Amino acid sequence: MQVHQFHPTVSFGDAISNQILSLQSLLRRMGYRSEIFCERLPTHFEGRARHMSQYASYSSSTNVLLSHFSLGYSPAVLDWLGKVPDRKVIVYHNITPHKYFAGINDVYLEAAQAGREQLNHLSKVTEAGWGDSTFNCQELAEHGWTDPKVLPIVFEPKRYRIRPDRKVLKRWQDGLNVLFVGRVSPNKRFEDIILTFYYLKRFVRPDARLFLVGAAQGMETYLEFLQALVKRLDLPDVIFTGHVSGPQLMAYYRCASVYLSMSEHEGFGVPLLESMHFGVPIVAYQAAAVPETLDGSGILVKEKNYAAVAELIGLLAEDDNLRARIVAQQRERLEDFLPERVGARLEEILGSPSA
Amino acid sequence: MSDDWIEISDENINVEEIMQKIRERTACHASVSSPDDSDKPEMAAEALWAEMIQDPINASTFLKGFQIHQRDCDIVPRYYVIDWRIPILGPIHAVIRRLINAEVRRYLLPSLKKQSSFNLRVRRALKELAQENTRLCQEIEKLQQDQNTGQP
Repeated sequence: MQVHQFHPTVSFGDAISNQILSLQSLLRRMGYRSEIFCERLPTHFEGRARHMSQYASYSSSTNVLLSHFSLGYSPAVLDWLGKVPDRKVIVYHNITPHKYFAGINDVYLEAAQAGREQLNHLSKVTEAGWGDSTFNCQELAEHGWTDPKVLPIVFEPKRYRIRPDRKVLKRWQDGLNVLFVGRVSPNKRFEDIILTFYYLKRFVRPDARLFLVGAAQGMETYLEFLQALVKRLDLPDVIFTGHVSGPQLMAYYRCASVYLSMSEHEGFGVPLLESMHFGVPIVAYQAAAVPETLDGSGILVKEKNYAAVAELIGLLAEDDNLRARIVAQQRERLEDFLPERVGARLEEILGSPSA
Repeated sequence: MSDDWIEISDENINVEEIMQKIRERTACHASVSSPDDSDKPEMAAEALWAEMIQDPINASTFLKGFQIHQRDCDIVPRYYVIDWRIPILGPIHAVIRRLINAEVRRYLLPSLKKQSSFNLRVRRALKELAQENTRLCQEIEKLQQDQNTGQP
């Protein structure tokens, strides 16, 4: 049996591509022949992935094809998937609900809407559905899959063995630094982070800084709103970094005192794992898959009381004992996502993808 | 704020004590902050969201369903990035483009900013007109109803 993977495109650095690469190495270690196929093949990925048109020579009814789904497929892919005789498994990474893009980006809104509609069709042409989290699996079940399985994101510490950017470290290492990492998108509620930071800066720690790390491509309107909010609240020290390089990302984690997430919709939350890895205590709003990813580690906030969350951040920064306990628990939780653990889970569910 | 608004699973951490500290500290905010709710940052965020994202001029009778968002008024290219993917040639190409762009922007940006500012003022005026138009339409409707029923 061969186990191959498909995703419309792959690139270095994004969470889904990393998961695809990690699964490929796990599958190969298990002795399966495993290749990655794409609809749009980036030039810098040549040799590591193939175009879907080449799949015919690999295809067989005894093979398993893990088809990763995150924003929606083109009609060509839907047609291709329908014809491929392999045992198909949808690996669902979740789609941001379209309502979040209203007034911000019509293209994203329509794509999210169409993507979710495709789920109903895909449940009929695939043998099984897997999700990164129970949250994602619940959605698969709502769209017609029976007994979807959870296959968590693989966390590979070796990916983070990069020397942190020295300029960033030198510039920001001191003081209380609040960090959030993620694409600038309305579901992540950046405005709630900024409002929390307002209380932190005004009442708790005037020396605090806020780093909002992530690209804003396609979200310019939302970014403009966030920047206008920062201006209106007269808030210095809010830094929108935009897209950062690997070394820069490492440096921001190293400089961070607290990781703050106010996100309302996350299918998993890879930056939460990264914070666990870098020993940054997490304060996160309890929504979507976030509680499940943390599973008792970090601090979950059930209400968006900005002033209270700001005080909590202040406490975390000043109480070394509290901070150490939270970080220790997070490190323990991170072990569940190491390749050995996820590999064992993959082996278990691959035995019978739909059973 | 409810009693269990935070969740920490570690039994060795006294969550009640943390909550008590937070309650005491947030209570102090009230003495420092303004009593006026309209000054609250939450209100500012809501107002800004409504102004920038949620509130296009959308009076169907006035503009026939045509929407004007605040974001459409700003025509300055703020997110223009110069890059080139081919190595070696890339940096040379980027430098040339950067020089040309800097020169073009030097005389173009003031005009674009002026136009954006004008667009915003026109949008504001149109918005007020649309509101006034809606109000007048309602008034006319009411007067017609009164006339039909014979009321003064």
